Amino acid sequence: MKREWLDRHHRPGSHRPVGLTVAAVLVSVVVLVPLVFLVVQAVQVGWAELRHLLFRHLTGVLVWNTVSLVVVVTAICAVVGTLAAWFVERTDVPGRRWFAVLVVIPLGIPDFVVSFGWRALFPSIGGFWAAVLVMSLAVYPLVFLPVAASLRSADPAQEEVARSLGLGRIRTFWTVTVGQARVAILGGAILVGLVVLAEFGAFEILGYQTLTTEIYNEFQVGFNEPAACALSLILVLLGALLLVSEDFLRGRGRTARLGSGAARIATRVPLGRARPAALAGLALLVVLALGVPVGAIFSLIVQGGQSTLPPASLWIATGNTFAFGAAAGVVATIAALPIALLSVRYARPGVLALERVNMLVLAVPGLVVALSLTYLTEHFLQSRFYLTDPLLVVAYAIMFFPLAIVSVRAAIARAPAGLEEVGRSLGVHRHSVTWRVTVPLVAPGLAAAFALVFLETATELTATLVLHPTGVETLATQFWAYQSNGSFSQAAPYALVMVLIAAVPGYMLGRWFDRQPERMTQAGAAAVTGTPALVAA
Amino acid sequence: MRGLAVKGVTKAFGPQEVLRGVDLVVPDGSFTAILGASGSGKTTLLRIVAGFERPDRGEVWLGDELVDDAGSRYLACERRRIGYVPQEGALFPHLSVGRNVGFGLSRQATRRPRVDELLELVGLSGYRRRYPHQLSGGQQQRVALARALAIEPEVVLLDEPFSSLDAALRASVRADVLGVLRQAGTTSVLVTHDQDEALSMADQVAVLRDGVVAQLDTPAALYRHPGDAGVAQFLGEANLIEGEVRDGVATTILGRLPVGGWTGPPSGQARVMVRPEQIELGEVGEGIDGVVASYEYYGHDAVVRIRLERMGVPEPGAPELVVRITGGPPVVAGHRVGLSVRGPVVAWPVRHNKQENSPE
Repeated sequence: MKREWLDRHHRPGSHRPVGLTVAAVLVSVVVLVPLVFLVVQAVQVGWAELRHLLFRHLTGVLVWNTVSLVVVVTAICAVVGTLAAWFVERTDVPGRRWFAVLVVIPLGIPDFVVSFGWRALFPSIGGFWAAVLVMSLAVYPLVFLPVAASLRSADPAQEEVARSLGLGRIRTFWTVTVGQARVAILGGAILVGLVVLAEFGAFEILGYQTLTTEIYNEFQVGFNEPAACALSLILVLLGALLLVSEDFLRGRGRTARLGSGAARIATRVPLGRARPAALAGLALLVVLALGVPVGAIFSLIVQGGQSTLPPASLWIATGNTFAFGAAAGVVATIAALPIALLSVRYARPGVLALERVNMLVLAVPGLVVALSLTYLTEHFLQSRFYLTDPLLVVAYAIMFFPLAIVSVRAAIARAPAGLEEVGRSLGVHRHSVTWRVTVPLVAPGLAAAFALVFLETATELTATLVLHPTGVETLATQFWAYQSNGSFSQAAPYALVMVLIAAVPGYMLGRWFDRQPERMTQAGAAAVTGTPALVAA
Repeated sequence: MRGLAVKGVTKAFGPQEVLRGVDLVVPDGSFTAILGASGSGKTTLLRIVAGFERPDRGEVWLGDELVDDAGSRYLACERRRIGYVPQEGALFPHLSVGRNVGFGLSRQATRRPRVDELLELVGLSGYRRRYPHQLSGGQQQRVALARALAIEPEVVLLDEPFSSLDAALRASVRADVLGVLRQAGTTSVLVTHDQDEALSMADQVAVLRDGVVAQLDTPAALYRHPGDAGVAQFLGEANLIEGEVRDGVATTILGRLPVGGWTGPPSGQARVMVRPEQIELGEVGEGIDGVVASYEYYGHDAVVRIRLERMGVPEPGAPELVVRITGGPPVVAGHRVGLSVRGPVVAWPVRHNKQENSPE
């Protein structure tokens, strides 16, 4: 008999994913490095000094500034995002197809560019309410996207049953419609909270002092590492609180559908005489969120446009931004593979716990990641790697790792193990099956994961400012340098390129994720904004 | 074509024993159904035969070739030439129908004509360029079958291939698949939890229960002479009553009934099975007295549930009997009837020290 017998390593059944597990654990260790070294640093600072730093008046002011902003912006975004989603998805408001597009695009504009646009048009604005206005306009789509998806897929029969049970239209909206979208609203709101916590650039431009702006100043300007560390601890704690509260608030409510009957498409509510008002409201939202920042950038370019040729440094910065984005995208996507593979193919309690541990990064703002990595390289690696390309890429990969995991997992779920088995049973070799079945099925999802991290990286400001190698400027750092000097018209072209890079493909990715299961919508929503945030699903 | 044999196969997942010594011989060119409740290990058995899983102990033979001995001998699944048709078809979603069917064919070989030939065999000639999502469930299932047959397999394994189809479609797809497999002449193994499917399609049926083959027989023999009450109840409805057997006749509350194939001692306590269609309804006074408890009309037949009576008083401890009648006027609940049993019944000796296995 001239058959070949496979060696022991490739036998099914006896197969334990040892290599994968080792890789997944190693990746997780790297991802948790910022969190670990934040704690190490805090221990080194010592409790006496920490206490002194934590319980001073300034800290109280900063926490109040930050928390009140988070609360107000989150509340406004929840209301605006949900209402906008309801009008677009469930009413006969005119031009709803256009609004479905226009209302989402602001997500692609980096928050600090929105802030910059408003500041350029209205130089006198600043303070708490300006921060509320700008952040709400920049991030409400984080609520809009998941809620719109959830309203689209919700079963209209529930609303009809509520009406038949004697509930009025408004009570039906509150109890049934909002109830159906509750998980989506909550998920979006938590994302908004995490984004506001982590935001730095927008507040710095508006002159509004929060934990992040103070950490940045203590560290970059005052070189006061202990103070930066103490405030970072508070920031991470607040983020963790938000993450935990999501689990807590979500509760046990599930949107159950009994039976396999297909849900019908929801019927739209006729607005009647309220139509013009609804139209005006949505139009105002688009003007404020999209028109103002984009208009400001264009008017700045036109005003300052003596030379029609963009400066050479714009091309160099664009090239650097693309290079960093691509590197971070590749690293994060590859690093996410072992954990995503384990969680799809070998879902066991230990694996799922490992996956959740990686989601902790969501609570760590990019600024804190950057500070922690700086501390690590200075104190433990004799400043090797400090301000180098690889360290910046690693920082990006860590910040956007949860995003990569969720997208890669969705990609792998598209190629179930059963397909590989069928392929092999047809007499095709394992490697050939991988190449002909698994790779083509998984590739689009992996490309999406790459694109998400790329977009995030391209519009990242804070960690880039702290960690970018001297002399290597990106769009974000150049923009920041010019706007810090008050050279708004010189900063504008950089802002424009960032908007173009992020908004257009970001919008397309958003639509792509819209067609994925609900969990992915939040990933998509997080992706098209300039944030490291993504709620642990 | 080659037959298939499984000898003493066991398999546990962690502490859970799924297969506990399965023996099964599938003759060359036959169609065998493995019938079991969900969780009985039938899919695991199929996966072991296909080579996707390995047994903890036991042997798997393809013809006269030992392909897995639970030890060092293991033939990889891609070398077994076993066609596998999984639940829901599992077509490659990114490939057209033609490419799905041709997946296992080598590039140089006469791929295109072979694919066309196979698509014609399953009645989907014009569908080569379509994609799986453009097909109905039944069409997907037939493409999956064509894909499995493309490699000219020695054995075809079908893992509940019809369970995702709705009832109307199921019967026709079943008939199509059976026709194609007969024409191809392959040895076929079907796993199912649907006894109608097993009985109507297979040459022989293996009832898998508690990780072992409880009985292996032709459909008719299995239905008429189930090895125990559990198997009897699993294969259609069965009335189980107590009785005493002597000289090939069981004395029961339904009267003295001839027993076929009695294996117990010449006389003794027995459990007697009467199929619903063996009971005939007549006028009161003809045979045993009973009263109609309920009547369910199905068009082609009707199911009547009867409580036994003696002199107008419900018989204590008597089970409700299920009777299947075809034609005749509708019966009303509360109506008094007479019962008689047609043909020989099946009986098993009651072993007092051992509990009867019941189906899951």
